[in-house]
Amino acid sequence: MARFLLRRLVTSVVVLAGLAVVTFLMTQVLPGDPARAAAGRNATVEQVAAVRVRLGLDRPLWDQFLGYIGRLLHGDLGTSVFTQRPVTDDIAAVLPSSVELVLAAMSINIVVAVPLGVYAAYRRGRAADLAARVVAMLGAAVPVFWLGLMLQLVLSARLRLLPLTGQLAFGREVSEITGMTTVDALLGGDLPAFGDAVAHLVLPAVTLAASFIAVVARTVRSSMIGALDSGYITLARATGASEFRVVVRHGLRNALVPASTILGMQLGWMLGSTVLVESIFGRTGVGAYAVNAVLQNDLYAVIGTVLVIGVVFVVANIAVDLVQLWLNPRLRQTGGGSAPAGPGPVAGAEPVATVGGTP
Amino acid sequence: MKHAKAALDTPLLAIRDLRVSFPAPDGPVEVVHGVDLDVARREKVALVGESGSGKSVTARSVLRLDADARLSGRIELDGTDLLTLPPRRMRQVRGARVGLVFQDPLAALNPVMTIGWQIIQPLVIRGVSKRVARRRGVDLLSRLGVRDAERRFDDYPHEFSGGMRQRVVIAIAVIAEPELLIADEPTTALDVRVQAQVLALLRELADERGMSVLLITHDLGIVAGFADRVVVMRHGEAVETGPVDDIYARPRHPYTRALLAAVPRIGDDPARPLAVVDASGAPADGARRREDGR
Amino acid sequence: MSGQNGQNGQNMAYSEAPAGVAARLSGGRWTRAARRAPRSPVLERVAIAVAALMVVIAVVGPLLAPHDPYAVDLGSALRAPSAEHWFGTDANGRDILSRVLYGARVTLLATVVVIIAATLIGTLVGTVAALGGRVVDEVLMRICDIGLSLPAIILALGLAAALGQGLDSAVIALAATWWPGYARLVRTLVREVRDAEYVDAARMIGVTRARLVFRHILPNALDTLYVQTTLDVAAVMLVISGLSFVGVGAQVPSAEWGAMIAAAANNLTNGWWAVVFPGLAIMITAIAFNLVGDWLRVRNDPTIREGKAR
Repeated sequence: MARFLLRRLVTSVVVLAGLAVVTFLMTQVLPGDPARAAAGRNATVEQVAAVRVRLGLDRPLWDQFLGYIGRLLHGDLGTSVFTQRPVTDDIAAVLPSSVELVLAAMSINIVVAVPLGVYAAYRRGRAADLAARVVAMLGAAVPVFWLGLMLQLVLSARLRLLPLTGQLAFGREVSEITGMTTVDALLGGDLPAFGDAVAHLVLPAVTLAASFIAVVARTVRSSMIGALDSGYITLARATGASEFRVVVRHGLRNALVPASTILGMQLGWMLGSTVLVESIFGRTGVGAYAVNAVLQNDLYAVIGTVLVIGVVFVVANIAVDLVQLWLNPRLRQTGGGSAPAGPGPVAGAEPVATVGGTP
Repeated sequence: MKHAKAALDTPLLAIRDLRVSFPAPDGPVEVVHGVDLDVARREKVALVGESGSGKSVTARSVLRLDADARLSGRIELDGTDLLTLPPRRMRQVRGARVGLVFQDPLAALNPVMTIGWQIIQPLVIRGVSKRVARRRGVDLLSRLGVRDAERRFDDYPHEFSGGMRQRVVIAIAVIAEPELLIADEPTTALDVRVQAQVLALLRELADERGMSVLLITHDLGIVAGFADRVVVMRHGEAVETGPVDDIYARPRHPYTRALLAAVPRIGDDPARPLAVVDASGAPADGARRREDGR
Repeated sequence: MSGQNGQNGQNMAYSEAPAGVAARLSGGRWTRAARRAPRSPVLERVAIAVAALMVVIAVVGPLLAPHDPYAVDLGSALRAPSAEHWFGTDANGRDILSRVLYGARVTLLATVVVIIAATLIGTLVGTVAALGGRVVDEVLMRICDIGLSLPAIILALGLAAALGQGLDSAVIALAATWWPGYARLVRTLVREVRDAEYVDAARMIGVTRARLVFRHILPNALDTLYVQTTLDVAAVMLVISGLSFVGVGAQVPSAEWGAMIAAAANNLTNGWWAVVFPGLAIMITAIAFNLVGDWLRVRNDPTIREGKAR
């Protein structure tokens, strides 16, 4: 087990290092002069030259790279041209909102997709199975940004059931503690604001969750089918357990092993999808920030976001592996037997849904 | 659901004209063609036959474990026809009145749950408290020969050897104190030495608890020291039945004779080809000669 | 089951490859295709028809368009669907139907380019990794890991930032993020085949390595590959339209479907048709290609048990 964890950590470090290299190369390739960008729009030629020296931009490439790595390790992601603030501060300000959205979406996903997958596996081949799979497939084929707009149109504009945009009703305020509006409202004891914040969270979270329900449901279905075909399920029935108990207590635990991989990966994927969802709903967040940065050619902001999301991804993958160890006692014995080789494709778990961090 | 007739001469299990068919792409296929079988109280019956004879299907039909099987006929447990029971009643029967020992202990045990948890399930679902169930489970495991049962109760299946796993499966099958134990090829997946131990265990358990046993096997070698009566099946039919000594000494059906002849014996000439059972069910020449020579 | 690729770019089918390969190693390619698992033939035929229709539209769409997709006519801005404009008009008075027809070509062409590029690069890298020895394998796979360590959208976003905005940049960026998936897939496939006996047999006869690769190994890998590419059409298309939607891919006034939706989003409430129809186009195309890819997958690997009833 220790060997397994060590191997994963090493791979993760390699990946992060690689990411640093790639982003560094991006800084070299991106249009615009970083010295000028850092110096500000109205800087004189001398000021720009001074900044260039200060930032070490006149040094040889490998030297710059080391400096870059050094800064990264200190948490210095550079300065945003657009906001003129350190990128780290910018991202720290917007990340909680995205995390809130992603957690809400993941909860919806789990609550819907897991029972859907279990049911489809239990009724494999029957109409219910087909129906479940069709629904899941529709969710995956719908463009997420379009779905957001459609939900806004129908549920908000036409039916007036839910708010259109934003995180709180206009004029309402909540003191900022964690940065997550719902949590902050709760912490502040402001229940009406909490309800309001949740209402504003519904549409974006459902939109975000929809496209992933297919993935999770299908994984759960496949692994449940495998579990339900096993000898121990028959044995459980032979001892007189009810069908529900057999499926849920005996079978699901096994199915969760590969499914947990997917559930963990969701965190990263959903975070990536915030790019498409946040601006539609007028939410601040990493996604909206990244899009804005790209459109503004805000070099360090873009790279900063890419790095942060990459780190989140890697950490999520390691967390998934830890959960796998807990769920699957067999992994604890061997040196990680069929464990995945990298933060990407999970080869060992089950012949279903392995995914790369997502091409 | 027990009827008033507790008379010892009515069989505990009475199977009458059992037919089992399974769905297939070209229409249902019947694999058991009208089998009659009795198991008396405290009796040990061996159901023998080669692969495909329908013996496993017959035995599993008692518990109605194959969801897509179509059953007809009667399977009476102490007077109650199991085939007409509603699902809830059937669940009560499983485990508590009829237990099943599975063939492959590795496949039969849930890899992500401790063996202890699996052993106490038949009791827990019947309302026994976890503590009491655990006590009983540990005692049973100990009785079955697992050393340090208390500690090993919290281990996982992959931490046990094959023989130990089979003991766990037996424990699961008998912990709710069934009247009838069906053992489906309980020794096939084990090596010879362990086979003997497991069979001895089953025999002791049955005698201690007054349990009837229906032993499914293709191995006539293990039947002699275990069963009271033998039922021979072939191609979905019961071709011969009788007390074990009679069967071995005076087999009547050619197929039975062929099966007996096919069992290798210590002291056989190693160069003697093993007897074959030809299509008609009669032993081929070599076997007949051998039998006469004995 | 389709939808194996999330629109955020998850490629799911990798470790289904070994099972598929094992099945394929036992018999000729076409005989196996004949042994189908029972599916709904109506649904399949509809899906294939729709997918083919989309391809046809992509090719000849512009000829079918009743109006000029770029002609601005503010006088007829935001007209609801009518006899003259079947899908209505957008905020600039442009006919939506024509734009959707034109957009098919833009969107699908971009998608196909991405997939072809990713497949070629990925196949090359994957084959080299599988046949080139331990060190080469490790290095290449680590590089793939880096590529796979981020959601496609994010990486593509970053690269597009470097390359400038526009559909071309988006295509290049997306191809660069997509190939690691194929590299891993091909590597798995080639490794399976590499260790197969008939390859040894061929080698013993004296077949050269190159011939081995091209005539024996790759053709077997291709079966699984074209399943994956078909499924990827939907996924890539969704990412491309997504990138265009946020403004990084195709730019206004392009008829690319994602860009159309972006342009129309501001007038959602009083011009829903400008948003609905391009979105439906994306969705229907994605569903069709997913179903076709699914059908191909099941055809290829009859060991997939889908329809067994309880």
